Amino acid sequence: MTQARMLALLKRPLSIAILAILVLLAGGELLSPGFASPRQIVTLLTIAALLGVVAAGQNLVILGGREGIDLSVGGIISFAAFLAGNVMQQQDAYLLQAVGTVLLATFCIGLVTGLGVTWLRIPPLVMTLGMLGVVQGGLVLLTRGVPSGRAAPMLSRIVSEPLLLGLPGILFIWILIGVVLTLVLRRTTFGLNVYAIGTNEAAAALAGVPVRLTRTLLFALSGLFAGLTGILLLGYTEYVFIGAGDQYMLPSIIAVVIGGTSLAGGSGGYIGTMAGAIVLILLQSILTTLNIPPFGRQIVFGVTLLGLMLLYGRQRRLRG
Amino acid sequence: MPILEASGIRKQFGGVVALAGADFSLDAGAVHALIGSNGCGKSTLCKIIAGSVAADAGTIRLDGNPVSFSDPQEAAAAGIGVFYQELSLVRPMTVAENIYLGREPRMRTGLLDRDALRSQAENALEQFRSVIGTGVHPDARVADLSADQSQLIEILKVLAANPRIIILDEATAALDRNQVDAVFHRIRALKADGCAIIFITHRMDEVFEIADRVTVMRNGLTVLSQPIGQTSHDEIVAAMVGDVMPPARRERKHVPAQETALEVEQLSAAKLAGVSFKARRGEILGLGGLHGQGQSALLRALFGALPLKAGSIQVDGKRLAPKGPRTVMRRSIAYVSGDRARHGVMAIRPIFENLVISLLSRERRVVVQTERLERETRPFIERLKLKFSSLQATVAELSGGNQQKVVLARWLATHPSVLLLDDPTKGIDIQTKEDLYSTMDELCSQGVCILLHSSDDEELLGISDRVLVFNGGRIVAELTGEQRNRQALYEAAYATAPAAA
Amino acid sequence: MKSTLRLSGHRHPYLMAAVVFLVLCVVNAILQPSFLKFGVATSNVAAFLPMALVAIGQTYVVLASDIDLSAGAIVSVVNVVVVSIIEGMGGTGASIAAGLTLGIAVGLICGAVNGLCVAYLRFQPIVTTFATGIVFAGFALWVLPEAGRQVPPEFYLAYAGTVLGVPTVLWILLAAIAFAGVIARTRFYQALRATGGNIQAAYQTGVPVARVRLRAYLLSGLFAALAGLALVGETASGDPLIGGALTLASVTAVVLGGTALSGCIGGVAGSILGAFILGLINNVIFFAQLPFAWQGLIQGLIILAALAGGVVMARGRQET
Repeated sequence: MTQARMLALLKRPLSIAILAILVLLAGGELLSPGFASPRQIVTLLTIAALLGVVAAGQNLVILGGREGIDLSVGGIISFAAFLAGNVMQQQDAYLLQAVGTVLLATFCIGLVTGLGVTWLRIPPLVMTLGMLGVVQGGLVLLTRGVPSGRAAPMLSRIVSEPLLLGLPGILFIWILIGVVLTLVLRRTTFGLNVYAIGTNEAAAALAGVPVRLTRTLLFALSGLFAGLTGILLLGYTEYVFIGAGDQYMLPSIIAVVIGGTSLAGGSGGYIGTMAGAIVLILLQSILTTLNIPPFGRQIVFGVTLLGLMLLYGRQRRLRG
Repeated sequence: MPILEASGIRKQFGGVVALAGADFSLDAGAVHALIGSNGCGKSTLCKIIAGSVAADAGTIRLDGNPVSFSDPQEAAAAGIGVFYQELSLVRPMTVAENIYLGREPRMRTGLLDRDALRSQAENALEQFRSVIGTGVHPDARVADLSADQSQLIEILKVLAANPRIIILDEATAALDRNQVDAVFHRIRALKADGCAIIFITHRMDEVFEIADRVTVMRNGLTVLSQPIGQTSHDEIVAAMVGDVMPPARRERKHVPAQETALEVEQLSAAKLAGVSFKARRGEILGLGGLHGQGQSALLRALFGALPLKAGSIQVDGKRLAPKGPRTVMRRSIAYVSGDRARHGVMAIRPIFENLVISLLSRERRVVVQTERLERETRPFIERLKLKFSSLQATVAELSGGNQQKVVLARWLATHPSVLLLDDPTKGIDIQTKEDLYSTMDELCSQGVCILLHSSDDEELLGISDRVLVFNGGRIVAELTGEQRNRQALYEAAYATAPAAA
Repeated sequence: MKSTLRLSGHRHPYLMAAVVFLVLCVVNAILQPSFLKFGVATSNVAAFLPMALVAIGQTYVVLASDIDLSAGAIVSVVNVVVVSIIEGMGGTGASIAAGLTLGIAVGLICGAVNGLCVAYLRFQPIVTTFATGIVFAGFALWVLPEAGRQVPPEFYLAYAGTVLGVPTVLWILLAAIAFAGVIARTRFYQALRATGGNIQAAYQTGVPVARVRLRAYLLSGLFAALAGLALVGETASGDPLIGGALTLASVTAVVLGGTALSGCIGGVAGSILGAFILGLINNVIFFAQLPFAWQGLIQGLIILAALAGGVVMARGRQET
């Protein structure tokens, strides 16, 4: 391999993210022995999986371009966790029913968002912001301000307890999502259409790509993935909390960006986003391990993000 | 001593050489025409002089002193004003705001003097009052103006800075004859005041009418520079074309069939006012005329990319309602735009994806069968002599000509029976053009009906079986057989506006 | 008729906001008879003022087609810095002066950081200001880990009191409006709009686009700082999380006010109306004695409808 190609490979966002994971793991182990122990890693991956699943939807919306972004995912996650908890009522028998209901409901919420973006042509930032308010308001109506509902035991087991090879089920779900989503993006007409509309919407439309349908679906899928995250989060926490999903809204965007998906749309993929989610969780975890007070964690976190922007978040020059 | 002198200017964009050591010199009080075919580098040269593009090599001297502008602000401060072909107007802002952007009149307090801004704009508009049409006033938004009106506003904007060097890059492209006269009147006054003007145009008659000197560029080099009195139309054309002969009267292998492939009746849309014609299988039907007279609008309307107001379309005897590209392509109709960057390629995506995207949409399959798709597109890749390192390389790495081949191959893979070509050879090299021509010829012999709009008149006349001449959204003439020559084309194209003196 | 509507819409992008504002005032006055009393009106202004100030600053950034997702964090950091300085210096008159000055300086510094990253380093605005926002919020927590500390009575009494018979909050609002009015008559403002409307054209015309964008972020920082000061006067103490909700609310107010996220179109007047609309919606819902549980959803739906309506109206202006 020539030096130039090595350098090019090193500059690829995915390589940077993977390198960051290794450095963070090594650094964590050095600072706090046991940080990189298998058990600890599994715990971290479980937390990363929750972020990774919601970031899947965010990833799709961002890939579709035209300033695609979904600020409503946090509200949808909270809503989904509440709905799931109340449908399953701690009973395994209602688990499937709960999952089906939640996924259908959150897909529909995303669908409405998508229709607003495509048919009314409301900028995604505005539309999803508005939708966030509606979902949060709806949640208050349903909960009457008092959260209720608990996870079915099976759900908690799937999420938290070892299923196979000492790994919890949620990791297999995440890997499955990773494989399926990557195949969908690379090997299906829908996937190619997503990249096409994200790169050059006008050209895509002239090439026969169903632009509006594709973009609407992206938002619907983002709702669906947020819904799935809500279910998994319920399994992880077992109880329903108000605003449980809020913490995911902006990190889901950051995970996508760290993973090398361009906010301009049309380039990137889900493998990078998975790595991005792990980087974020590792970083947070190290800062916690180091006993850095919350403010210090926040500052280091923010500065790291800015550093990553310097690596690959820059926009083109105005001068040719 | 020339007021401005550029020598040995080089510039590459990605892998494409735009300027390969161009030279240019400009005298005060003179109009210097800069011409050449699309992509010859004249616009790039102007942007370098104006400071909005950085040169890779070469020197620019202003009044004999070497200068190097790091941004347009510096060039403007040195007295250089530029009319940008793509216009540098902010569409949501008003006419007055645009004309005086960055040099708005201020009161003693330093705040904007809105009344002065308005009255100054009013005065500036006065110069073009008789030709600019209705709806133009200082408070009108540029977004509400037509293309020719916007162009005149851009000219006023350039002049508002009182530049001593003025670059007009296709400043007359969308103007009618009266408007051109008004602009020329202004240019002569500026010349008398000692301004130096670089005048870029595609209209040869304008060169002989206004220019004192002419420079021709080809493939990023200066190939001819003469006082206008010492050169001729033929010499300039020869310099533009170079050694390669224009594709005049290409040998046609195909013979158009008798069956009608496409029948259009009284088609109206934005920029189209009742267009009717028939096109046969195996025919190349050319759409000619001055720039933007409805040729492109017709093709886009047929493809469903421009909403129709009225009219009917029949393809192979069956009615077509062009609701959008997806409904139209299902009737085996394909559209290729010459505006590759905006309407053709997905530049940052792999060549493979760009090649198969339309076929996938046409087939409505879920899974991308890579091998089968490669097999199906390969004949067209070979037919068009598409050169690439790997199908997974991005389209952005290809030259403009190869990018155009990708877009064409994308559509050929869907086996169209009607092919709409919207200025497909804009800014691509001779060899690529040759490949496109021979492919078109072959397609015709297979019975494909081709509608070709070209801004290159020689090409249009050379390869079309018939040419429909457009003027103001209507077909004003049909040229067949021996009528297919420049003379007839120009007479029809300029029919409503009297030819230049 | 249609053309006059369009024309007036173009001249006054905030026309729709003004109509909604008046309707809400009427509804509010019916539901709450004391609404038009001077005291109630003043307390409403006081309640809406911080959001209005942040929205004013956000407007300048949005006009340049950027966004400031750190505005709320700047409010927080200024709020706690001011309170800490005043308390730390013993609550004297000099300490109040120092607190105010340094508070504004902090706001400007935060704005400068945003502007340098976005305009000069060419970072993507959404992620960048989100990241700087995390950093600023971290500093706020560092300065004051939890809500508390006191400012001397002189401070909050002056804020709640009157000057020359006119309530202080009204003076602040009027001063902000006057300031915005002056800004709107500068070359800078024209350059700002041009940058937002067509950055390439602005650049080619010789507009110093980077400097213009930096100044917009400085203004956003300045107004966020003023909002932080207003909140000190309102609450008489510091709170490191006080600005959190103001970021997205300010974006909502700006869009409600008819300013296009794509830049160039709109203005500060609309954003002030937008902030007041958001506040009045709260009032109306409260005084309509809707069941508590429904309030959030109704509020969300009204805001979503208003956002969508504003965007669709704005587009009508742009496209006809």
